[in-house]
Amino acid sequence: MIDLLWIILLPIIIAAFSMILPIKLSKYIIVIMQICLVIIAFINFAYVRVNGIVLQSIGDWPSNVSITLRADLLATVMVLLTVILFLAMVLYNTKQKYLNNLFLFLFSVLEGLIIALFLSNDLFNVFVLIEVATVVISVLIMFKKDSQSIYDGMLYLLINVVAMSFFLLGVGMLYKALGVIDLFGIESAVSRLDSADSIILPYAFIITAVSLKAALMPLFSWLPRAHGTPSAPSVISAVLSGLYVKSGIYLFIRIQDAFASQIDTSEYFLIMGFITAVVGFILATAQKDIKLILAYGTVSQIGLIMMGLNMNHIETTWGAIYHIVNHAFFKSALFLTAGMIIDEYKTRDVYKIRGVFKRMPIVSIASIFAILGVTGAPLFNGSISKYLIAYGTSGSWAEYGLLFINLGTIIYIVKYSQMFFGLDTGIRCRSDFYRNTVVFVLGIICFIGGIFGEKSIEFLFDVKMPVDPLLYGTKAIIFIITLFIGILIYHGFLINSKFLSKLNKFELSFNEVCLTLTLFFSFTLVYLKITQ
Amino acid sequence: MMDFINGETVSILLFFIGIYGLIAKRNIIKSIISIGIMQASIILYFISANYIAGSIPPMGDLSSGPVADPLPQALMITEIVIGVGITAASLTMFIHIFHKYGTSSWLKLRRKRLK
Repeated sequence: MIDLLWIILLPIIIAAFSMILPIKLSKYIIVIMQICLVIIAFINFAYVRVNGIVLQSIGDWPSNVSITLRADLLATVMVLLTVILFLAMVLYNTKQKYLNNLFLFLFSVLEGLIIALFLSNDLFNVFVLIEVATVVISVLIMFKKDSQSIYDGMLYLLINVVAMSFFLLGVGMLYKALGVIDLFGIESAVSRLDSADSIILPYAFIITAVSLKAALMPLFSWLPRAHGTPSAPSVISAVLSGLYVKSGIYLFIRIQDAFASQIDTSEYFLIMGFITAVVGFILATAQKDIKLILAYGTVSQIGLIMMGLNMNHIETTWGAIYHIVNHAFFKSALFLTAGMIIDEYKTRDVYKIRGVFKRMPIVSIASIFAILGVTGAPLFNGSISKYLIAYGTSGSWAEYGLLFINLGTIIYIVKYSQMFFGLDTGIRCRSDFYRNTVVFVLGIICFIGGIFGEKSIEFLFDVKMPVDPLLYGTKAIIFIITLFIGILIYHGFLINSKFLSKLNKFELSFNEVCLTLTLFFSFTLVYLKITQ
Repeated sequence: MMDFINGETVSILLFFIGIYGLIAKRNIIKSIISIGIMQASIILYFISANYIAGSIPPMGDLSSGPVADPLPQALMITEIVIGVGITAASLTMFIHIFHKYGTSSWLKLRRKRLK
């Protein structure tokens, strides 16, 4: 077991020192550091898996007074995921022109902050970490200083600061009501309460902010701007979409756990998740820009994960958590390959890119593996998690809801993948070794996560989730039928419809986002007052 | 009657004034000021919500009365520092936007950006 504090501080300290070295040297130092971090995270994961939860207080104070870091199995898996993805991103980056010391520094600081967010056990710490991460990310979003970037970065910064103000006021009210801000202190204090009256208002404040971080239905409109912005290098898009959005979902899981004994909102968030998924894929289908298709696709997948988390069924919960891991891999692979395709073709328009398969075979194979993961094709990782999510829904409306979402996913993926085919006059491009290897490995992981799905869930989370081969086979047949319907719908009448071009202008301004945030808050509050 | 006007109610009122500013004002500077108002209201809330009349600061000789809770104060010092950082960062970005687009309105900015 290695001190949890080190895994947070190591990337920040090393990156700060490497600022003074020339970039040729420092980029290798960062790579070595990333490898060390993967080893440390793996040792910690193995320790937690064998010995159970680790609670560590900073400074030698007793644990009810001091700031604590808490590593349980979910947190260590998320940390492991973070360090593996960051290693991949740094390797992908090694030969890029924009790479300089500042970029590496900010990137490593972001890694430390995300790891700290997963290990943190205290709501105020969470607030501080998210605020700092927000500033770092908004600088990274506008790193290439393109024309639109400043607007995107500023919108991201201000919207998230407003949301975190809601969060902090909620924490203040919670402290007044319960006298603790420690997540597990809250859990025990809430279970001792007689009625939920005193914690409804703080809960509504906190959950509004967390829903914005997780990009739920009315609150997602900052996400495509931030994740799909042309100015951000594709590694940033990949980290934001694959990983950082998951910190919102992770917080959601934690906070729902802490309040579970008094407040039950699973039905509310189940419906919210469904609406998010549907709106996400409709908007994804409407986009022309390949990065924006992927960004709206993230919104849709977040909705799916939310549905899984709120069905109060053990299989669906683990399915959703496994889908978090899977989504991190296939979405990073998709964003990285999209970045390489954009670099090669010098355009982001999905209608203008053709014949990628001939020009960039390795990239295409990685991309297609990831696509099969997203759509939940049999043998790929998405199919296992979607199978588990669907397992708990049998007999309710959610079962058909999931089929509908998968149909939508297939439709926008059909639109996205048409760029692999077709004629192309260009010659086979020479792209560099590191980038090809990274995307290829990420693609292969999508495949391994599928064929060894049952085993990898058992390995990661120490739970047995049996996959019934007969039922899985039925799902495979349903998938193939959905695939044909999806292709028919897209090529049949969506391809020339005017409806799509109207939709892709849809975007909320800053004032409208603040309004939806307030409306979401009021609606949640009213819902809680009525139901509790 | 006057009991109603205490730190808590004032801070919640201020918080929603800040939100009103965010929703209704199109000017970026006013949006940043509104965020500042929200942050000030949160600081007021934390400090005043757990206040006990007649309590003494939590340092030095603690025998002469009830001791004020040090935790909200410690948290709020951090929040003030973060607030300054955020305001500085957003104002810097605003200066860049103004140099580039020559406007301080969210709507005009969005229209110019889409071109």
